[in-house]
Amino acid sequence: MRLNNAIIIGAGPAGLTAAATCAENGMNVLVIDEYMRTGGRLLGQLYEEPDGGWWNGIEESRNLYEKAVELGVEFHLNTPVNNLENEGGVWTIYTEQEIFQTEHLLLATGAAESPIPIPGWTLPGVMSVGAAQVMTNVHRVQPGDRGIIIGVNVLSAAIAMELSLANIEVVSLALPEKNLITQESANPKEVMKSLLHVSHMAPSKFARWGSRLMKNSFMQTLGVNFYPKSGVKMWNIPVQLRKAVTEIYGDDKVEGVKLATINAKGEIVPGSEENITLDFVCIAGGLYPLAELAAVAGCPFYLVEELGGYVPLHNERMETPLQGLYVAGNITGIEGAKVAASQGRTAGLSMVCHATENQLEDEINYSMEQTSKTREEAHIQFHPEIDKGRTKILNQWKSYHLEE
Amino acid sequence: MANNRHCDVIVIGGGIVGSAIAYYCSKSELDITLLEKKELASGTSSKCDGNILAVDKDPGFDSQMSLKSQNLVHKLKEELEIPFDYRNPGSVLVCENELEMEAAQRWVDQQQEAGLDFRMLDREDLRNESSYLADDLFGGLECRTDSIVNPYMLTYAMGQGAKKFGAKIHTHTEVKNLYKNQKKIFVLETNHGTFTANKVVNACGAWAPYIGEMLDINIPIKPRKGHVIVASRQKPVASRNVMEFGYLISKFGGERQVDPITEKYGAALVFEPTESQNFLVGSSRQFNGYDTKVDHDVVKHIAKRAVRFFPKIRDMTVIRTYAGLRPWTIDHLPIISHVEEAPGFYIAAGHEGDGISLAAITGKVIEEMINGFETSIPTEPLRYDRFSMEERV
Amino acid sequence: MTRRILDHPILGKMEDLDDSNYVSFQFNEVIYQGIENESLAAALLANGIRTLRYHEESGRARGIYCNIGHCYECRVTIDGRPGVRACLTPVKEGMDVVSGKPISSNEGGVSSEAE
Repeated sequence: MRLNNAIIIGAGPAGLTAAATCAENGMNVLVIDEYMRTGGRLLGQLYEEPDGGWWNGIEESRNLYEKAVELGVEFHLNTPVNNLENEGGVWTIYTEQEIFQTEHLLLATGAAESPIPIPGWTLPGVMSVGAAQVMTNVHRVQPGDRGIIIGVNVLSAAIAMELSLANIEVVSLALPEKNLITQESANPKEVMKSLLHVSHMAPSKFARWGSRLMKNSFMQTLGVNFYPKSGVKMWNIPVQLRKAVTEIYGDDKVEGVKLATINAKGEIVPGSEENITLDFVCIAGGLYPLAELAAVAGCPFYLVEELGGYVPLHNERMETPLQGLYVAGNITGIEGAKVAASQGRTAGLSMVCHATENQLEDEINYSMEQTSKTREEAHIQFHPEIDKGRTKILNQWKSYHLEE
Repeated sequence: MANNRHCDVIVIGGGIVGSAIAYYCSKSELDITLLEKKELASGTSSKCDGNILAVDKDPGFDSQMSLKSQNLVHKLKEELEIPFDYRNPGSVLVCENELEMEAAQRWVDQQQEAGLDFRMLDREDLRNESSYLADDLFGGLECRTDSIVNPYMLTYAMGQGAKKFGAKIHTHTEVKNLYKNQKKIFVLETNHGTFTANKVVNACGAWAPYIGEMLDINIPIKPRKGHVIVASRQKPVASRNVMEFGYLISKFGGERQVDPITEKYGAALVFEPTESQNFLVGSSRQFNGYDTKVDHDVVKHIAKRAVRFFPKIRDMTVIRTYAGLRPWTIDHLPIISHVEEAPGFYIAAGHEGDGISLAAITGKVIEEMINGFETSIPTEPLRYDRFSMEERV
Repeated sequence: MTRRILDHPILGKMEDLDDSNYVSFQFNEVIYQGIENESLAAALLANGIRTLRYHEESGRARGIYCNIGHCYECRVTIDGRPGVRACLTPVKEGMDVVSGKPISSNEGGVSSEAE
């Protein structure tokens, strides 16, 4: 076993940044990812920044990767990890191909998308909105000719635009039919509230609706009640908060959806269903932290809605309560790629600190401040109360260590 | 607000047993609230298999109790709105030597005497059972009344049924302290405020001792860890439960003719097809505290054991593995009992590997006890005070 | 027909793409072309193929869903190995890919009492 080595699972923005940080400070670093390319969810991202430049996930990923390679970071791609074990301070990482060991293990496994079960959702041609994004921007293959996006949120709004950039017709963004599972995502008022956080991305009348309506709850209700039936257009795609998909139909592939009008509470208006012919459907249920490996490692978990679900316990230095185990990126809560990268830098510095004699207090503090700053300036906020969520998990950290 | 927080009965624990209690109590119009630390079925009830068995129960009281529970589940299929993958195909035990065949014959005789639908199987019967079974098996036995459910779904189905009858269910609500106030009312302090109740049922399974401690009541339940492999359907291996006879010996602590590691892990074949034709493979038995981390060495031995009985599943794909904690008691019977030292406090825990099998009858009996009705089964053998002082330590 | 986005208003043309990048692979005994090392799921979709397998129990058609290896909806048999995720597998020359089919329920020689 090599001394002072670090292993990072996940080659997204957090993992790549952490890898470079560790390597810069003299550690031997190995990055493992089950995908065939580095970049993680960053790969698919493509949007216009407020300054007019384009954020191109493929280029950003390439830059991070090339920097890591220059610094001597080793990569094992196409390598799924099955199990983690710790004995005497050494982590053993079991992959489908080989077994690795390290004293400093970072989990930067990112996020997965929550599904929205709707009748017909298993038909070929129905895919998660993230899947459509990667197909379009990374693999450069159209998911279809004409589709609909079910679920209106930050992610689906951004990807709708990306699809139309690639000349793929998106007939609308609509809500799922209300049921036990869809709950808030099927409630026009709740969706309206969460959408206001993406409104600054829209240079159109959607933004004006948004800013005017966000004033108070009464106005929000009013906004939903008087929301135009045809929807409000964002990048020329109708956003239909008063329409819900009740069924996806087709024999052995998507042939269309049944779209119904809903009232402000999300209830179907009887007799309002119409058939819309199309060949693909994207489901946008939102992201949640992909944290199975932290569970396998034995890390304690807490449910923090603002962070997107169950997150492994960690502090601002990206340490977990388990010796030699660190987390960074979306596994700690759903945020943008820039925040993830910043957390990756902090995690890398923490790993260096533990592995070597280097005292990096100033760098770590600076990196933590940078993360907060990046969060404040974030272009897209996935949850309006992300700060509250971050505070919650830090409080859990404190009470966990008090109980110990 | 304080008034809403009072109810007649509070059940602590939202596993399959707590949900059954909430269901039967609310159905009988009791005012009941369920408090669960995490989500419904987030402990042992989702880290188990779904067998509802009489085949592995001690002939007599134990197997009769199981039969009663099976009948209740059969009715639940009609009563509950949410389907729970209920099937009723019976189950099979297979023997790998002459000694086990003799023991199996005695087992069948005893069970038949107790009035259960058991019979012996010969080599030919096994061949008809599944073409995947190993050729060298001697035979086995079947119990034709045994059934299978999806335990996760059954817990939710009963929870939802209870809500319809007016029960309140609070998830992510952890009981931090429990005591009786001067008015003899139970006070339950949780992370989401304080609740009060006239009666409290402890349905916390392997964690029941922690709740007992709060009232200075020693509950002799220990966690007994078990592993399960979920494997992917590639071929329909068998359509009903198949267990090795050695499982019974392992369960009841007898001596088996197996290698030391298999013995150490208590590895014995339990095969269960799920409704979607995937299959679960168990089992192991270890006293290992409250640790639920999957130990891959144990998993390997379970897989090895399964391949010994179903050689062709060697190449099939594993979907996932998990480990759970059985609430073990020394006599392998649950505690379903009122606690006289603390009037109004009930225990419904300690079902070891039989929680799924016995949840329905447990819920029913607790409801009958609280209502002061005659119970569906005799409850003497399930009393809290049946353990000697040594056993309680 | 191709479903590839060869030119993109922001991302530009697909880089350095010529005939040498293409490989042949087999899917359910039909030969298709894909770009070497792209995901098998992408290569199939580019060829207009959406149905990757038939559900073991219901026999219904299934295709890709999450595209990141999490949902296992895209599992296929590759070179005799079952349960391989098409979305995570780089396509290679000569790859032999087969869809899963529904399982016949009496294949195991199961007795009729099982009903």
